[in-house]
Amino acid sequence: MNLTIDNQKIEISRPSTILDVAGQHGIDIPSLCAHPELTPYGGCRLCVVEIEGRNGYPTSCTTLAEEGMIVRTNTNVLQEIRREVIQLILSEHPAACLMCEDVEGCHVFQGTIRKVGITTGCRWCPKDQDCELQRIVEQFGIHDLTLPGLYRDLPLEKYDPFFDRDYNLCIYCGRCVRICTEYRKSSILSLRQRGKLTTIGPAFDETHVDANCEFCGACVSVCPTGAMSEKSRKWWGKPERMEPSVCPLCSLNCDIQVLTLNEKIVGTLPPGKAHESGGDLCVKGRFCLSELVNRTERILEPEFRYPEGYGIVSWDFALEKVREIIQVVPAHRAALFISPDLTLEELYTAGFFGRNVLETDEITSSCLDAGLIAYLKLAEESVSLKEFEKAGTIFSAFLNGNYNYAPLTLAIKSSAGEGVPYYQLGWIADTTSRFARHRFIPKPGEAESYLGEIISFLKNGKCNSPEISELAGSLKKEKRGIIVVGTQILSLSNGCVMLDKIRQIATLTKSGLYMPNPYGNLYGMLSLIRMKPVEEVLQQIREGRIDLLYVVGDVPFTERPDVKYVIYQNAFPPPKGLNPDVALPTTLWGETGGSIRTDSGTIKRFKSHAVSHGYARPHIEVFSGIAGTKKIPKAGFPQKTIREALSGAISLPATGPGKQALSAGKSPAPDRKFPYVLIQEKNPHTYSNLNLGVAISAFGELVMPGHLILHPMDAGKVGVKQGDPVILHTPAKKLRCKAAIRKIIPPGTVYLTSVNGELEFENNPCYVTIKRDHV
Amino acid sequence: MEKRFASFTEEMYTYPREEGSLIPLLQKAQSACGYISPAIVETLADYLQLTESEVFGVASFYSQFRFTEPGRHSISVCLGTACHVVGGGTLLETCERDLEVKPGECTSDKRFDLNRVACLGCCALAPVVKIDDDIHSKVNIIKLKEMWSNYE
Repeated sequence: MNLTIDNQKIEISRPSTILDVAGQHGIDIPSLCAHPELTPYGGCRLCVVEIEGRNGYPTSCTTLAEEGMIVRTNTNVLQEIRREVIQLILSEHPAACLMCEDVEGCHVFQGTIRKVGITTGCRWCPKDQDCELQRIVEQFGIHDLTLPGLYRDLPLEKYDPFFDRDYNLCIYCGRCVRICTEYRKSSILSLRQRGKLTTIGPAFDETHVDANCEFCGACVSVCPTGAMSEKSRKWWGKPERMEPSVCPLCSLNCDIQVLTLNEKIVGTLPPGKAHESGGDLCVKGRFCLSELVNRTERILEPEFRYPEGYGIVSWDFALEKVREIIQVVPAHRAALFISPDLTLEELYTAGFFGRNVLETDEITSSCLDAGLIAYLKLAEESVSLKEFEKAGTIFSAFLNGNYNYAPLTLAIKSSAGEGVPYYQLGWIADTTSRFARHRFIPKPGEAESYLGEIISFLKNGKCNSPEISELAGSLKKEKRGIIVVGTQILSLSNGCVMLDKIRQIATLTKSGLYMPNPYGNLYGMLSLIRMKPVEEVLQQIREGRIDLLYVVGDVPFTERPDVKYVIYQNAFPPPKGLNPDVALPTTLWGETGGSIRTDSGTIKRFKSHAVSHGYARPHIEVFSGIAGTKKIPKAGFPQKTIREALSGAISLPATGPGKQALSAGKSPAPDRKFPYVLIQEKNPHTYSNLNLGVAISAFGELVMPGHLILHPMDAGKVGVKQGDPVILHTPAKKLRCKAAIRKIIPPGTVYLTSVNGELEFENNPCYVTIKRDHV
Repeated sequence: MEKRFASFTEEMYTYPREEGSLIPLLQKAQSACGYISPAIVETLADYLQLTESEVFGVASFYSQFRFTEPGRHSISVCLGTACHVVGGGTLLETCERDLEVKPGECTSDKRFDLNRVACLGCCALAPVVKIDDDIHSKVNIIKLKEMWSNYE
């Protein structure tokens, strides 16, 4: 197809819009609503063009290029129309700042902070100088407002975590609504009402948290104005650099971009150009990461425990003390706990340090219990995310994808949206639930029998429930089924039995498995270090066969166990009861470079983006500092390169017999006195064994650790409001906690995530009764 | 109310589970329950596999759907050109002040809800106030206040 744009002859092969064709050939047509990831909208009217032989001025973003078209994009008439459109936009957009004479000096000196009235001023705009509207105004050289201002005086929305919204600055380009609906398939944002009463947001005047928003930040990324802004970097100023990096907060290790200013990490974005990159991340990668590295609770200097208390000491002194301790501890009497969130380089050095310096085999990680090992055994057969495009049926079991695993949930949603049958087993209504043909919400004890029925259908072709036979039949028939298993299964009673059943289903139907985990570099750790299950090492400690507990980025204990020495090497301060003998401050992700092994086996590298806090040192420097003496020669440290060490296969520790089954408590029969089903989950979001929900308060508002989550209907029945104290009763136990009211669980079910990684009640799920606690 | 909601949900299942059923179902819900409550939005979203925001976005686009509970009686004050000229605005203000209710809302005792309408099509009788299905013509403030007592 041939056409002419601005006297330039252009040949195109595929049908596309005039705006796209022009953009590909270096002809710039201004636009505020067009976005490469989204369907054309024609909302801002800035991209109008003249087409010979056509009446009026069509918008180029909604007009397809045709054979022989002669298009002009930059005539005087068009520029005049565009200037008028900008004037119309500015009549509703507080723009006094753009017109102010002092605008240039203002960026530097902030000399005229109150130069305009508060109502129409620009004081709510974020300070990042990242505004497409401002650029358009500058491009067109607009210095006067010709139309009277129309300020809508909408209240500033500050009540949700992570981002603020000021819809007075909104120009209704609809990008946020479209990215939420089309790309993320979440549809939390919609255009409400119409005409000049239009507002953007969830149904009724719900908060985003109540509407089950994922807080992926896609809407914030694409907003061309300051209507949506990140709370944490609103006043930081313009970021200096944008560098590619890798997110360490789960096994998917998404590519991200890190924004830095003055050698500090101020924010993270998905890959791609700013404003154009879509919503590829979850809330953890998009917002939590920068809050995590800028957390103020850090150890800044080495600390040593004198008999009279802790003192800040020099690095040389601290390392000398560590060496003294290591030298008095005989071989095989030290235990080393390593965090699965470190980089491959750090892990390799830590493993080498454990074997050759501490001379011990008791190397483990606090997450590496029998349950996780069984989970990882099954995960060895994982398929890659690309397989979801070809999937015939998708079945997810115990997946909680609300604030997690964005590429996975996006893959499920886009397949299911295209008609691939999707079934969900579990209680949590996550972002994929809406696409499920059937949701199986089991009562206590039922989850296992659901899986059992699937197996019996696959074997005998018989089943009582039509839904289960539909699911099993679909998995069997399509042959390209994928079963997604979430780590919630590890918190459930009989979790390992269910894992085994899922393995059977996968074998019988030849389905692929996909099993994400919340650890940043767990596969890397297991491929570099031969580790023991944590239970075995804990047993050694309990039996008094360990003198030295050395923890690297891991926090296996909140109370000091019965050992002679504890050495604590981490970026975050130790728990109060641990009382380490030496605490060594280290850097975090982003403060040192490194590489990570993703769940698909690829190695991703990232460089350091920021300077370290205080006197913190990288883990590797600490290890080699300790190893710099006669007893511990530095020369052979480390011997192999990482690439050699990564043999490809991961080595899982073997678990002893009898440890396979997780707590296999019997579920009691339903009882009228205990009408609610309680689901517990061990903390599903960690970094360096830190509970992200506790460490990052804004994230805590989403996941509510330690809070009992109730459906609004149940909350009405029990008579509790958000934050009220409640008492939970089982026949055996009583627990006091606070209530949180959310729609992520079905009525009749309540949900509790633990603060410290331990389950409060033995049976999970179990029947409970709930009362308001009158204190 | 719960009964009417239950009968509506029963009827809902006879509609196909597709986006196209949304507006007919919203109309059905409004005629059954009087207004579109958050519970209705949640139920419809769940049935049609949409989000609540999508359902609300569609519903709020049309002025035929209301989101506040109607009173036992519904007062509509006409503010079309003819009624406006002869004092429709004053009638609306009187209703707002004396019944302590804003347009589009319902009194705290659920007796009246107040609406403003653009034209009822009987401009010769201006100013016009409609209560339930009764059209009251050539209303003044005294007449308006007397009228209320007929509706309990």
